[in-house]
Amino acid sequence: MEHFIDHCCEKCFNSKEKPCDVFIECCLEGPLCHESESCKKAREAIINKYSHGSAFREH
Amino acid sequence: MYERHILICAGTGCISSGALEVRDALGEELEKHGIKDQVRIIMSGCHGFCEKGPIFIVYPDDIFYCGVQKEDVAEIVEEHLVNGNRVDRLLYQDPVSEERVNSHDEIMFYQKQMRLALRNCGVIDPENIDEYIIRGGYIGLKKALKMEPLAVVNEVKTSGLRGRGGAGFPTGMKWQFANSSTGQKKYIVCNADEGDPGAFMDRSILEGDPHAVLEGMMIAGRAIGADEGYIYVRSEYPLAIKRLRTAIGQAEQYGILGENILGLGFNFKIKIKEGAGAFVCGEETALLASIEGKRGVPRHRPPFPAVEGLWSKPTCINNVETLANVPLILRRGAEKFASVGTEGSKGTKVFALTGKVNNTGLVEVPMGVTIREVVFDIGGGIRYGKKFKAAQIGGPSGGCIPEEHLDLPIDFDSLTAAGAMMGSGGLVVVDEDTCMVDMARYFLNFTKNESCGQCIPCRLGTSQMYNILEDITEGRGKPEDLDLLEELAWAVKKGSMCGLGQTAPNPVLTTLRYFRHEYEAHVYEKRCPALVCKALLQYSIDQEKCIGCQRCAKECPVDAISGEKKEPHVIDQDKCIKCGACYEVCPKKVRAVQVLSEGLKQNEENRSCEEGCKCQS
Repeated sequence: MEHFIDHCCEKCFNSKEKPCDVFIECCLEGPLCHESESCKKAREAIINKYSHGSAFREH
Repeated sequence: MYERHILICAGTGCISSGALEVRDALGEELEKHGIKDQVRIIMSGCHGFCEKGPIFIVYPDDIFYCGVQKEDVAEIVEEHLVNGNRVDRLLYQDPVSEERVNSHDEIMFYQKQMRLALRNCGVIDPENIDEYIIRGGYIGLKKALKMEPLAVVNEVKTSGLRGRGGAGFPTGMKWQFANSSTGQKKYIVCNADEGDPGAFMDRSILEGDPHAVLEGMMIAGRAIGADEGYIYVRSEYPLAIKRLRTAIGQAEQYGILGENILGLGFNFKIKIKEGAGAFVCGEETALLASIEGKRGVPRHRPPFPAVEGLWSKPTCINNVETLANVPLILRRGAEKFASVGTEGSKGTKVFALTGKVNNTGLVEVPMGVTIREVVFDIGGGIRYGKKFKAAQIGGPSGGCIPEEHLDLPIDFDSLTAAGAMMGSGGLVVVDEDTCMVDMARYFLNFTKNESCGQCIPCRLGTSQMYNILEDITEGRGKPEDLDLLEELAWAVKKGSMCGLGQTAPNPVLTTLRYFRHEYEAHVYEKRCPALVCKALLQYSIDQEKCIGCQRCAKECPVDAISGEKKEPHVIDQDKCIKCGACYEVCPKKVRAVQVLSEGLKQNEENRSCEEGCKCQS
């Protein structure tokens, strides 16, 4: 999972054709539709990759 | 995970100062040192401090380097990234204490700012939607989609947001009009036709945070019931257009823009319409005509666009900065937004601070700060220790605020009462060497040329006013011209059909109001106190001071200066074209060449040289 649009596993269905209504929240706090530590870590990895400076998420 | 993130400003200003070359050099140096995988390079939007660009920030160290050139990169990589020692010579140096500072938080330019509309500019990679989402992007849209349209309108009304494009009309009220208009088809239009000379607020937002504008448009669409939006942006903003196109593509790919957005049944598409750069197309009805493929000229209102706009459908037109504020209002709540600013002007305002200040650039301040704070605290005061004369606020449609009003709070109502206007946010600072009559002439020349010519008061009135101003600056002014100028200005203001004509006289009216003595000096004494108006100047050589170095004679483009070597020179006034070249090259220690205005003996010792002046060589 390189970007939020990539599926963390086969349970994620979000796409342009079938958008998920909790997609935005799921990017930051997900996964929201299933329990998975690895899927959670995949999202955290994206957030950590792009976050710089202590105030990046404090806005 | 990267060990370090390096942000290089990729705003148009920094790119023109060499930011892309710095990026390329950085890539090569990281490769050379084998640390390419440990460092992430982010080409961000504008940091605002254009005066000191290219800006180069190293995180997590939070070290702010400025004025970085490609030749400096090897040292930064070797010393800072590899050896862990900051490169002091590239740090910002405080002009007063002369101390070098590490972080942008320690720089006066940033300390009094509050970056809300610019919250992501200079922070994220504008071409990466993931970063926008991490920073809270599209949460406001999600909230809006869960609310009833009128509730969204009310939220924006409660926030007190007023349009940032010029007139300051309450945004929520505008949305309410469009919401209550009947019709199946409605449009949202983003007015990105930023035409004021020297203004680049909207360009910076589009370049630095394009998703904020898209999100604002979608929320507006939800509020009024529109399913289609246009961004009208001038084609001379290629980087902004490129980043907007990228952002639209990403949002569509993510299911955030297009059909059934976020699975919540809301449809919205956004198109970009490139304008040809006519100033009048910033006027909303002219803009709509231009989108429709017609000549961009305004039309009478009513009907207002909210009732009958694009292709005769209800249309809501908002400025870039206005729309960039909207996601924040929805995400953080109207009350939080309204807690910033003054009673009648909520939130912040972005200004393009230019002119004779030490720190030029893009600044965002809470409504209600004073002009003094912007000019002297953020702007760092007047260049070369000169004296402040006026702040021209609101571009060619704005007015000149004099020194006695330096403590005027910057908000819609205070500026209007002083004869100026917020405008879109141009703020040009002028010093004692600026002639206010010439400045009024300059701005009127702009509005005269940009007048669409459709209505007589604007077409002929601005031309007649310009002719009078030209007469005055060229020594042909008559005493009765001043009253005539004022009468004409009011006639144009009251009689013109659109905002261009209605505001074009503002620079004339405010300079007449606050600097009438300068007009009178030009008319009655045929002199220009600021020594700017060429026709009223005379260059001469002090025979007792001249050492006969011949620099002036060599520099004179029309051979108007004669004299033997080591003998005093003279200027043939019939040949002199008053270009000032002789004055520029006359050695500072000698100062034999003098510039005078009739009736005024200027003490030239007080006229200090600007940086780079040849006389010091």
